[in-house]
Amino acid sequence: MPGTVRLGGRARRLRRSRPGPVTLLSGGILALMAAAALFGTWVAPYDPAAQDLALGATMPSWAHWAGTDELGRDVLSRCLAGARSALLWPLVVALGTCAMSTSLGLLAGYRRGWIDAVMMRVVDLLIAMPGLLMLIVLVGVLGGGIGWAVLAMAVLFTPGDIRVVRSLTMAQRELAYAEAARTLGLSRTRIMFRHLLPNIAPTVVAGALLSFVAALVALSGLSFLGIGLPAGTPDWGLMIEENRGLLDLNPWAAVVPAALVTIAATAATLLGDQLFERLSDA
Amino acid sequence: MLETRGLRVVGDRVLVDGVDLTVAAGETVGLVGESGSGKSLTARALVGLLPRGLRAEGSVEVGGTQVVGASERLLRGVRGRRISLLMQDPFTMLNPLSTAGAHIAETLPGRTSRQEIARRLAEVGIDDPAVAGRHPFQLSGGMRQRVALAAALAGDPELLIADEPTTALDATTQHEILALLRRVQEARGMGVLLITHDLRVAFAVCDRVAVMYAGRVVEQGPGAELAAAPAHPYTSGLLGALPSVERAMERLVGIPGSVPRADEVAGVCAFATRCDLVAAACTEARPPLRPIGRDRLTACVHDAAGTARPPLAETASLTVPTAGPADGEPLLHVEGLRKRYGAHTALGGVSLHVNPGETVGLVGESGSGKTTLARSVLGLVTPDGGRIRLAGLDITDRAALDPRERARVHRLVQCVFQDPSTSLNPAMTVGAALAEASARAAPGDRIGVAELLELVGLPAAYAARRPKALSGGQRQRVAIARALAVRPALLICDEPVASLDVSVQAHVLELLRGIGRDLGTGMLFITHDLAVVRQIAARTVVLLKGAVVEEGTTSTVLDAPAHDYTRRLVSAVR
Repeated sequence: MPGTVRLGGRARRLRRSRPGPVTLLSGGILALMAAAALFGTWVAPYDPAAQDLALGATMPSWAHWAGTDELGRDVLSRCLAGARSALLWPLVVALGTCAMSTSLGLLAGYRRGWIDAVMMRVVDLLIAMPGLLMLIVLVGVLGGGIGWAVLAMAVLFTPGDIRVVRSLTMAQRELAYAEAARTLGLSRTRIMFRHLLPNIAPTVVAGALLSFVAALVALSGLSFLGIGLPAGTPDWGLMIEENRGLLDLNPWAAVVPAALVTIAATAATLLGDQLFERLSDA
Repeated sequence: MLETRGLRVVGDRVLVDGVDLTVAAGETVGLVGESGSGKSLTARALVGLLPRGLRAEGSVEVGGTQVVGASERLLRGVRGRRISLLMQDPFTMLNPLSTAGAHIAETLPGRTSRQEIARRLAEVGIDDPAVAGRHPFQLSGGMRQRVALAAALAGDPELLIADEPTTALDATTQHEILALLRRVQEARGMGVLLITHDLRVAFAVCDRVAVMYAGRVVEQGPGAELAAAPAHPYTSGLLGALPSVERAMERLVGIPGSVPRADEVAGVCAFATRCDLVAAACTEARPPLRPIGRDRLTACVHDAAGTARPPLAETASLTVPTAGPADGEPLLHVEGLRKRYGAHTALGGVSLHVNPGETVGLVGESGSGKTTLARSVLGLVTPDGGRIRLAGLDITDRAALDPRERARVHRLVQCVFQDPSTSLNPAMTVGAALAEASARAAPGDRIGVAELLELVGLPAAYAARRPKALSGGQRQRVAIARALAVRPALLICDEPVASLDVSVQAHVLELLRGIGRDLGTGMLFITHDLAVVRQIAARTVVLLKGAVVEEGTTSTVLDAPAHDYTRRLVSAVR
């Protein structure tokens, strides 16, 4: 074509090269954390629940690399074991949000008409609500179980993603390949999931990782407020809350889990960015 | 005034490789080439506006000032004042928030007055001074191009580079803008470098034409001489592939193969792999541009290369598009079709018919409603009124059909869309797309993927490829194969060759003609290009503002147009 925009050096490099250092680093960190979530309880040097009241809170030593908390429990072991609940529940939220927003967004964007109108008004309503406050109230009223927290979070995260998926779907359905599929008389489901979905997948994947990050941070926050997981469970958010009084005796007991939450969130965000660029370029 | 010597544009590979060009004051020089030939990059290199990551090498002198490697500050003094760039797309090149007058005032030297702006607008044929106060969205495409031209001329440049200035415009507007460009150029005595993919435009407007191929100039000379006796096989190939407006050609011959990358052919003749005349000398060294006669240059080692592929061969046979049986019920019967979008009437009662096995051309400019008509027949739009009958079935409202009828309609009518870059799903391999389509055919009628690819002249191995690995022409072939997979009785072609290069266009047109001939598929062929209609359609329907203004056999409509609008269309391309 005359006046074709040539790909800049950056886009071209991304496609051709192997994964860059940022992708490798953030992917590696998340892989390590996932390994901790799966095998953490076996690798941990101590039983994460084993108490040593005589020892109490201590600073890091050769025996306890990250020290111990008030009850003499090994902080490192608890962090390793805590990876499971810290990562599992956000993963559930992310997958649930992704599944709901993708199917509803595709439906609204492809079908339009009254389905779209009704869905968008509900979405508007949900988006207008103050999210975190609703979450706290809801989970508090419903009895504070982690199940409710996860469900409420998924319901709160879905509307924003529906909008994104819907607008992308609306753009894709006007393209010639989608019209050709309609002309062939393919079923709606087939057009939505076989034709349109793969073309908006980069955004869906990036969105899922962002939901994961938001859920990770929000769940840690809920744990910190004492909502969600029962006290005593090894979990990063809960550890921050339980150990924040120990800042003078062993600050690491709160700093290490807090750092883990931050690092996991950052790594997932960066990975989402990189994945988006790679997928949309492929 | 403009002189380039050995201009190269280099990114992580060589894109333009050695362009020598001169433009004198008062001269119009054409730079012609297909997509990927490097003509737009050359234009940008001349004004120092290359995209990031690319750099120019060699020498570009504008009135004695070296542009290559010049500082941004120096370039700012050159751009607009000495050399100005007019771009292709009138829809995006004006700032939507500024008025027409503001665009011109921006580059006017000295104090700007309302009279001066009105004078500048009058120069480009806008006599209504109120236009200065309008925003781009209030102007038509042609008006915008005029305003853009006035803005480009505001700094009184010595050289105007026009990069595809008419490509996005309708035929009649195109004609007006080119005439305007010519008039302004003569009045001001400035140099014009016209960049275009359209050979006809270049030959009609330019004093000299340079043909670019794979990042280099392969031939140069006066337009008329080039058209009459091309000295490079590539030029003659292009001319041979050009469909004629005047007569239907027996066979449209495209150039085999595709354009190589400039860096792959650095040391040889770039055209060698596609040339019938290739000899040892072609691949031993790169043939230099050598003079042959007055003002003529060629990069071919042969002396009589032009005779190899006779341009516009003597094929006056008008029998090519055969009309189907005119008796019996037509395959497609459209009656009084109406469709409105808000206040805009897209179709105001259109009637036409297509007989079985017949190809009908549907001609009209943008906004004439031709695409709305196609989409109504395809069931992508539900018309407000009128009737569409397809093979005896009323398909006006697709939703009213029962599932069995609907399945039948999907097998009766298929479509080839305009834009090859979106007509295939980028996430699906060619094989998967074709298999999906072929599974929709009636059970006894299924055609295998390999057979479909063979039908459109592609190797079976292409089934494993994704659209991204295909060229525009190849994608369009796949799209045609997909449409044919259900063995439709009617194929709607919505500008299927409008986005393709000339040499590729010839292949695709020839393919579609063969399909009409061999498979007996009826076609409704939508296009704005009268030359294309001449080659493919037995009958032609002319659409203007949602109404049929003329209808008849193609030769009657094009040779003896009855309606004023058709006459204007025909005279615009002659």
